[in-house]
Amino acid sequence: MNVLQTLIDGVALGAVYALVAVGLALIFGVMRLINFAHGELITAGGYTLALASAWPKAAAIALTVVVCVVLAWAMERIAFRRLRNVAPATTLVATFAVAFTLQAVWLIAFGPQGESADVLSGLNQTAVSGELSIRWITIVMLITGGLLLAGTILLLNRTTIGLQMRAAATDFRAARLLGVRADTVISVAFVIAGVMAAAVAVLLTVQRPLVTPTFGLQVTILALVGVVVGGMDRLWTATLGGFAIGFATSVLGEALPSDQRVFLPSAVFLLVIVVLLLRPGGLFAPRGAGGVERV
Amino acid sequence: MEGEAMRRGRLVTRLGLALSLLVALVVAAGCGGDDDDGDSGDTTAAAEEGPITIGAAVDQTDLMQFFDGPALAAAQIEAEQINAEGGVDGRDIEFEVEDTRLEPARTKSVAEDMIAGGADVLWVTCDVDWATPSIQEGINAGVLTVAPCIGTDQMGPKRFGDAGQLAYSFGNVAQDEGAALAELASDKGWKSANVVTDESIAYTQNACQAFKLRFEELGGEIASDETFTEGDGTINSVVNRVNGSDADMIAICATTQEDLPAFVSGVRGGGNETPIAGPWSIDGAFWLPKDPQVSNNIYVITYASIYGDDPNPDVRKLIAEMKKQGAEPATGGFVTGAAALQGIVEAIEENGGSTDGEALASTVEGFDGLDTISGSVSFSPDFHTAFGREYRVIEIKNGEPRFTGLIKAGEPVSFD
Repeated sequence: MNVLQTLIDGVALGAVYALVAVGLALIFGVMRLINFAHGELITAGGYTLALASAWPKAAAIALTVVVCVVLAWAMERIAFRRLRNVAPATTLVATFAVAFTLQAVWLIAFGPQGESADVLSGLNQTAVSGELSIRWITIVMLITGGLLLAGTILLLNRTTIGLQMRAAATDFRAARLLGVRADTVISVAFVIAGVMAAAVAVLLTVQRPLVTPTFGLQVTILALVGVVVGGMDRLWTATLGGFAIGFATSVLGEALPSDQRVFLPSAVFLLVIVVLLLRPGGLFAPRGAGGVERV
Repeated sequence: MEGEAMRRGRLVTRLGLALSLLVALVVAAGCGGDDDDGDSGDTTAAAEEGPITIGAAVDQTDLMQFFDGPALAAAQIEAEQINAEGGVDGRDIEFEVEDTRLEPARTKSVAEDMIAGGADVLWVTCDVDWATPSIQEGINAGVLTVAPCIGTDQMGPKRFGDAGQLAYSFGNVAQDEGAALAELASDKGWKSANVVTDESIAYTQNACQAFKLRFEELGGEIASDETFTEGDGTINSVVNRVNGSDADMIAICATTQEDLPAFVSGVRGGGNETPIAGPWSIDGAFWLPKDPQVSNNIYVITYASIYGDDPNPDVRKLIAEMKKQGAEPATGGFVTGAAALQGIVEAIEENGGSTDGEALASTVEGFDGLDTISGSVSFSPDFHTAFGREYRVIEIKNGEPRFTGLIKAGEPVSFD
């Protein structure tokens, strides 16, 4: 298999995982909350696309964004806001509870067999053929990932709300004393996470058009591992970690012989353990870094 | 500050290791199985008065409800019909159904309670790993234990030792199904195949292994042999490799989860119009990508056609009855439930109305071409999972599935 092909596929998959990582890291940054329910936002987006398959594509995608954003906002407003001042373990359990509750809702509402989505399926067609075989969806993944990540960076660095988010992430109490409105900052973080989840849902349903109750779960677990590996105290290290886990999965999957591919998860997590043992602060965290940016 | 950073680093390390361990445990739990061999238990005395009770310890909540539900519904309709015609030697058949929720402890206790309550036959969920806690209860109590649609040779002595003599499945054994798929390929004139196997369950592994063996026996050539594990994120690599390998057909043994439609979308998106064929595990229209140009030139062998054109009028009638009850089947696997009940009834009748487990098991093992609503089925000491069926061949053309013929394996492949 062509090395360039492997790298391109790896970068594209890494871009999707990076988008998931941004959603996770933003919430962790401002709330110190590891949101295991983030995957359910992606699943909600997937089901929305499945149900709106007959709609005009732009309308289906817009509805998906709305659903993911509203659900993200509702999660924070209903489940997490009142737990803001309790022990981290409690909020962690709350995210599990939200995730399992929503999975049960998907199972009851849509059944275990899944719903087929058909939005932008033409993107599966080959854009470049020959020595390299690149599908349009690969290109769209790269562009979407790049644009959304750039947009997030601009938002954080060039806007007032971005500045407030960064301040809140560095020292939430001090930021509040300086006039930063905690509710607004946290709500915006969840809204951005919702947008990221919607984008991931659209990209994934093009490649994997069957949406099941666990549609967003696996990508979220892997991205979360990536966030920890990259360094969850900073948005950019967490994002790079998410990218790295997606890239490594793709490249290792390509490198392993077909009859050895069943060992892929073992290989990836062995790598994770080695990285954590060697760089406990995160693979991309600056050596000896004392201060914490978080977003 | 440095101390704070180190403390945070240790915290992150612990969290990461815990996450890795959690994921590893989840993977292990998904892949692992229970290797306990059941000991041969006491044989229960046959209760030859009153109704014949079948204790069904099945999933009505979780992922296996998709398979267990339709098979049980079909069996219950069959039971109503048998009862209406006078029952089995004058005795009605009654199903006692309990939801296992796919929880191992509950699966065990439900089966235990049913046996203690006098169940004559135990009916278990359609996956041998999930069903093992109940199977062990059944066989250790000397009760005939039947699954409608387990598809591996694990349902029997191979997994459960001597006590497994009492365990049977009326699903197709993968060695037979894979062989039938190869026969279909040969009949179609396909000389070479790209084979894609989902390694996540034994059934799909065995089906494709059987396909390869029989296909080569028939003179076919395996052009490429790809594997993936459902959800491992490598399906796009598999697509690229398959699209880069010329062959007359693609044989895929996978389940109807997310990677199967991803594979079909990727292959067709790459301009590859090669016929795709697979066993019962890819049956059903629900998973098909909605684009008719993508869901095209796909062949499936299955138990029954659910598309209104099954050649057997009894099957069509059963589907109509299930629809009436709001239990429309999504795959042809439902018919195994009715077939399993017919097999149980035949065994009881051959034993003069006795429900003695060992006697029934001995009779079931001897079934050679037993006529059921799903066609004739056979069992042997090697295969306690059915073989010898005539499979329905479903062709999916421009997104529309339709019955196109029948295929039979001749004899199942042996892996020895």
